[in-house]
Amino acid sequence: MLFVLCIVFAIAARLLPETIRDPIAATLRQTIVRPLVSLQASAERTRSSWLNYERLSVSRDSIALRAMQVPALESENERLRRLLSLGSRLGWGFVAAEALHGQAIGDETTVALSVGSDAGVRRYAPVVAPEGLVGTVQSVDPGTSVALLWGHPQFRPSAMSADGSAFGIIHPHASEGAEGFLLELRGVQFRSALDTGSLVVTSGLGGVFPAGIPIGTVVGEIKTTELWARTYLLRPAVPPPDVRSVMIMSQQRSAAGVQQIWTISKADSAARGIARAGDSLSRRDQALATAARIARGDTTSATLPVAASATAPSPPVKRPITAPRTQPPPRAVTDTTATKPPVAPPPAVRPDTIVTSPPPTAPPVIPPPPPPPGVAGVSFTVPV
Amino acid sequence: MTGLGAFRAALVFGLLLVLHYTLRPLLGWRAPIDFLVIAVLLAAVRARSGTSALLGFALGIATDSLNVEGFGARALAMSIVAFAASWMKAIFFADNLALNGFFFFIGKWAFDIIMIVVEQRLSGGAMVTQLLLWSPLSAFNTAVAGVVLLIVLRPVLEPSRT
Repeated sequence: MLFVLCIVFAIAARLLPETIRDPIAATLRQTIVRPLVSLQASAERTRSSWLNYERLSVSRDSIALRAMQVPALESENERLRRLLSLGSRLGWGFVAAEALHGQAIGDETTVALSVGSDAGVRRYAPVVAPEGLVGTVQSVDPGTSVALLWGHPQFRPSAMSADGSAFGIIHPHASEGAEGFLLELRGVQFRSALDTGSLVVTSGLGGVFPAGIPIGTVVGEIKTTELWARTYLLRPAVPPPDVRSVMIMSQQRSAAGVQQIWTISKADSAARGIARAGDSLSRRDQALATAARIARGDTTSATLPVAASATAPSPPVKRPITAPRTQPPPRAVTDTTATKPPVAPPPAVRPDTIVTSPPPTAPPVIPPPPPPPGVAGVSFTVPV
Repeated sequence: MTGLGAFRAALVFGLLLVLHYTLRPLLGWRAPIDFLVIAVLLAAVRARSGTSALLGFALGIATDSLNVEGFGARALAMSIVAFAASWMKAIFFADNLALNGFFFFIGKWAFDIIMIVVEQRLSGGAMVTQLLLWSPLSAFNTAVAGVVLLIVLRPVLEPSRT
């Protein structure tokens, strides 16, 4: 009987009109079912919080993973910017390439490049990076080529100091560990002493590498049994991890010279210092200040200072070469319009292993830049 | 059924009610466990047929208040399932867990069939999919949960034969 009544009431509830059904349902929701609904609401909030936590954890982990890649991306971006800058300075006669590093033994001294003869690459072409010399092309295929890096035993370019006072031949430094990537500058005349930090560039002798490409900086002198020559330890200008994006220069571009390419950044800072010293506005301000002092009767500072205190030129830089030399003391390379008088070839220079060369061309001798007008009695030294 | 046994049964009934409105939404499964059907079936085996039908009707109409469009459908399905379970309790709750699980499965599936047919909310392929795919899956989950609860709550529950 109860069962029948339940069936009837259930069917009746199913057939109730909305006006009767809704108030009954509302009354049940607000009384009997209400605590159960609150329990369900809490459970739903817990579930959604747990799902949000999962999503946030995944998102946070993804962000953390991407953040770990940012330094590498920034480094690569910076390198590519420098490579673009080098390309704009070279102007023509080069092809960009990617260095394809291998994992086999011996791959630390050779590297495969992503371009070959199809792109105009030829054997013995110089391979350069924004920081300086990387190596030279050893073998060429249509689509790829292999280059010798500076650590290869057969890679021995002729080098000189940045001011052209010391010449020598580059050799790899035979050592284990981190020092294995260093270089040696051998055969430097005994009277030509190089200070630590001196820049060593290609000398242009031999005809393979044009003059002026940075090779490395002097780390120290190595004591050898040779009493007539010095050997210096160099840190390569291009660290091994940075050999990724390089440029291969053509023979015509090498012959045209690259003297000012790797020194333009330094020349820019020198030029800015000169420009600041000669800035018309700063000179005007100084003149007004001097006139005011003169009017007040202050005679102790009647002469113009070299430059405004806020825009002083760069301080004098200690020249790296201190030993007496047979050639006239050259200055740092800053002036692109200076003439290059020929000088006598340096003695006892071993030729590099790539190509025997005709009589070497003279290293550049650049006179110092003229002082800005209106500032007399001031000597400008240009940072190297 | 003694007073203590009734108290224990009421306690288990309340626990299953709470689980239906906490654990079920927390899991959020597509084929959820129906603790209300388990509660009705466990209560039906301890009560007479009419009382079981009344209990099923009350539980069903309370649940229907949350789904006004199908008001009365769950009440009808619960009443029928509870009455049938009480009527077949001698077979339903023989002391065999697999048999108990099977009848949990049948009870939940029958409940879904009656409710979906009476509610008339689904039609065509959606109704067939619900009846032949999701309802059996939900019934299977309900059966597994029911067997686990029988094992866990066996010391609390007292099988009664009236």
